Amino acid sequence: MKNITINIANTIGDVYGVEAEDGQKVFELIAKAFSDKKKVTLSFQNIEMLTTAFLNTAVGQLYKDFPEDYIKENLKVSEISESGKVSLKRVVDTAKLYYRDPEALRRSIDEIIED
Amino acid sequence: MSRLVSINNTFESYQSLISLFEQHKDKLFGNIHLEIHNFFAANMSTALGAVLDKFTANLNDIHFDYLSPQIETILLKNDFLTYYGKQRALDVNNTTIKFQKLKPTDGKYFKNYVIEELIEGHNTDLPRMSDGVKEKIIEAIYEIFVNAQIHSETNFIYTCGQFFPNKNKIEFTIVDIGIGFREKINRRFGRSLSATQALKWAVQDKKTTKQGVSGGIGLAVLKEFIGINKGKMQIVSNDGFYQFDDNGEDLRIFNGEFPGTIVNLQFRTDDRNNYSLKSEIDINDIF
Repeated sequence: MKNITINIANTIGDVYGVEAEDGQKVFELIAKAFSDKKKVTLSFQNIEMLTTAFLNTAVGQLYKDFPEDYIKENLKVSEISESGKVSLKRVVDTAKLYYRDPEALRRSIDEIIED
Repeated sequence: MSRLVSINNTFESYQSLISLFEQHKDKLFGNIHLEIHNFFAANMSTALGAVLDKFTANLNDIHFDYLSPQIETILLKNDFLTYYGKQRALDVNNTTIKFQKLKPTDGKYFKNYVIEELIEGHNTDLPRMSDGVKEKIIEAIYEIFVNAQIHSETNFIYTCGQFFPNKNKIEFTIVDIGIGFREKINRRFGRSLSATQALKWAVQDKKTTKQGVSGGIGLAVLKEFIGINKGKMQIVSNDGFYQFDDNGEDLRIFNGEFPGTIVNLQFRTDDRNNYSLKSEIDINDIF
């Protein structure tokens, strides 16, 4: 299986990966590569700033369309900062929980009302 | 005539701005006269700017009948009064972070603003901050700005801040005139939460109104950082008030409603925590 590298800074034309809209561009490329059975390395080279909003759309929403095992098998990251790694891990863990149980959010609203 | 007296980052001061809004919100084609006395925290020009924009949207004229000289100086230095036809004053001490009114689509412009005002512009005069703290502060500010972009449905986002070199503090405030937390959450889940219930829910980890996309991490991460940094965060949205600092969480209700959301952040710049520590996360075990 061919390995594709997606360079985030190149994809969004910026070294700040902060806006959700920019994350969407990255997501679409990964999804396209996955749909074509390619393995993806996501390169964070030159990226200076990340928000969870960006990572949610870029990576988090992959868990909506692809199984966890498939993503684990076919997605790698490179040249990510220590803080970026922490944020990405948190985004990924949150996404897994969210797509496993989408009704959890609604239940948490009811818990607030009952408090 | 409306008077604002001693406006700082307190529940009572937010109440004064809400009362100002409630007093004139239905006025059309009128004149609104304003006096500001004693003290006005520079970052609060965001909330005042948002309220005054609501009035000018109803084609009212704003008149600053009295500003104490000290207040006028601050509001000239941070550019706020230049939006009302006055001439900018030079900020010799370079402690202001300029007042900006941005469209939600002005993300790239906001980036330049952050670089100029927070990263490069104050390099020589800023209290010494470790790179780790600086990065965390900028990341936190970005999370809030992006939240306003994504969720608030606002026409404008107002930002402003202030350095306090002697107190080792930065205040930074982001305001929108959008639908507020309550409307956003109730619309998404078909419930009828109060503004304070909505705030209580939103600051918890993993709580998002986005459909089909996971999230709800930004505010939780911010809150955790504020806790370690010993800073303070305040959110005013509609009639709800939320505060988190060293004393814990506080939720209160205002008389009347702010027409949007205020997020006020206070960071300590003398934070000696090491945020650059290597994490224990294995790069091959993220997914």
